[in-house]
Amino acid sequence: MNEAVVFECFSYAYPKTEPVLNEIEFVVPRGSFTVITGPSGAGKSTICRAMAGIVPNYYGGRSAGRVLVDGEDTAGQRIADLTRFVGLVLDDYESQLVSLTVEEEILFGLYNRGLAPAEALPAMRKALNEVGLTGKEKLRLDELSGGQRQRLAIASVLAYKPDVLVLDEAASALDPEGAESLYRMLDELRRDYNLTVIVVEHELAYVLPYATQMLAVVDGRVAACGALDEAFSALWTKPELRALVPDLWQIKFTMEAYLNRKLGEWRTAAEAAAALQTVLTKGETEEYDQRRTG
Amino acid sequence: MQLTAFSKIVATMAVTLWAFLLPAPVLAGLLLLEVLMLFSAKPERSSALALASLLLFAGLMVGLQLLFSDDVVTAFLGGLRMMVMTTSFLCMFATTRIQDITQALVEKFRLPREYAFMLTAALRFIPDFLADSKATLDAQSCRGYSNSGNPIRRCLACLAVVKPLVLRAIVRSETLALSLELKGFGGQAHQTLVLQPLHVADYAFLLLLTLVTAGGAVLRFA
Repeated sequence: MNEAVVFECFSYAYPKTEPVLNEIEFVVPRGSFTVITGPSGAGKSTICRAMAGIVPNYYGGRSAGRVLVDGEDTAGQRIADLTRFVGLVLDDYESQLVSLTVEEEILFGLYNRGLAPAEALPAMRKALNEVGLTGKEKLRLDELSGGQRQRLAIASVLAYKPDVLVLDEAASALDPEGAESLYRMLDELRRDYNLTVIVVEHELAYVLPYATQMLAVVDGRVAACGALDEAFSALWTKPELRALVPDLWQIKFTMEAYLNRKLGEWRTAAEAAAALQTVLTKGETEEYDQRRTG
Repeated sequence: MQLTAFSKIVATMAVTLWAFLLPAPVLAGLLLLEVLMLFSAKPERSSALALASLLLFAGLMVGLQLLFSDDVVTAFLGGLRMMVMTTSFLCMFATTRIQDITQALVEKFRLPREYAFMLTAALRFIPDFLADSKATLDAQSCRGYSNSGNPIRRCLACLAVVKPLVLRAIVRSETLALSLELKGFGGQAHQTLVLQPLHVADYAFLLLLTLVTAGGAVLRFA
C-alpha cells in the first residue's frame, strides 16, 4: 500500500460545537513530506489529532467519513495502538514532556509499551542520536533549551519507530535557525528511514526546501491540495487566499505573469536567483525594471 | 554500596515509629544525626530553609500545648517527636531521587502506577507552574494589577492572577492527559517495571532497623 494516511470525506465537530472539519479529502503517500497550512482556527490541529485517533476517540463529538491510517479506520481504535504507526508531537510540546530527565522521558513511553530494558535502552540511545541529543541522557528537562526540548519530544516519539511522524506547529517557539535546523533534521530522517513526515506550519519558507506536497485548509475545508506547484497555483488563482502563498512563490507568480513564461519550482531564495539569472536575458531584465518602476 | 529507595522508605517509617518508642535523650541524638545527614547529603540553603520552617511549626505546636496544658515536658517532647519524624522525610528526599521512590512504591508497596505517577508529574510541573505564575503576574502588572492596600483588597486583587493561572493549569493538565494516552500510559498492554533489587547492604540495614525497633518496643512496654 502506497498511502500512509487517507482522509475520506472526513467531517468532525467537537462536543457541543459547530463542525471544525468539513468533508476533508486528501491522501498522504508513504515517504512524503507534507505541509499543512492555513489561517488560525482553520482546523489544522484537528486534522493532526484525527491522524493519531485522538479525534474522535478521545474527545468524542460527531464525525462522518473515515480516516485511514495504514489502511485501517482510526475510529474505535485505541490511541496507544495507533501510536505504533503514527507519532504525534503536539503544538504544546512542553506539556507533552512528562518525566524529569531526558532518558526517563523516552524510556517512559517504551516501558509503557512493554519493552524490556535490554531493548528499550538501545532504542532510547538511537532516538537521541537521531535528534542530536547524544550525551544528554542524564540532564533534567529544565536544563534543556527550547529547541532541545522540541527535539526531545520528537525523539520520544521516534523511539518507538512510527511510520508517520506528525508535528503540529513544531517550530512555533523556535528562532529561525532552530526552525531551519529542525526541518533539515526531519527531512534527513525521512530520507534515511522512509519516514512519512506531516507538519503544520504557517511560515512556509522553512519547509519549502523539503516539502513534497501541501494541504491548505481554510474554515475547515480543503482550499488546495497536491504537489507544491499545483497547490500554490490553486491558491494564487483565488485573491482571498493569496496570503497563504509564500513570498518566494508570490514573486514567482508575479514574474511569470510579467514574462508570460513558467519559471519552475522555487525552493530557496538562492534557487530563485539562479533561475532568474538563467531565464532572464539582459534586455528582459531592463524591460522588467522599467515596467516595475513605471 | 548505596541503599535502595525501598530501604530508605522503610527507614523513614521506622523513625516515625521510634519517635513514639524511644526516650527523649535518644530522640534528641537521633534528630542531631538526621540534621547532620541532611546537610551532608544536601548542603544547600533550601535544606536550612526547610529545617527552619519545621522548627517554626514545632515551636507553634509546643506553644499551643503550653497554652492549654501545664505539662512542659509533654509539650517539648511533642515538638521533638514532630521534628524527628519530619526531618527523616527531608533526609529521604535529600538522598533519594523521586523517580526511585515512585518506583519502590509501585514495585514493593504495590501502589498503582497511576497514583505513583502523580508524584513525578507534580515535581515535573513545579518549574512550569512557577514560570506560568511569573508570566501571569507580569502580564497582569502591565494591565495595572497591584497587590497593595488592606488584606481584603489584596485578596480580591489576587484573583486577577489566580484565575488565569488556574485556567492555564487546566489546559496543561488536559495536554498532559492526552500526552499520557499517546505514550501508552495506563493502557491494557503489558508495561515494563524496572526492578530495584535489594543488596546485602539493604538486608543488613533492614535487620538493624528491625532490631532497633524491637529494642525500642521492649524499652517502652517492658
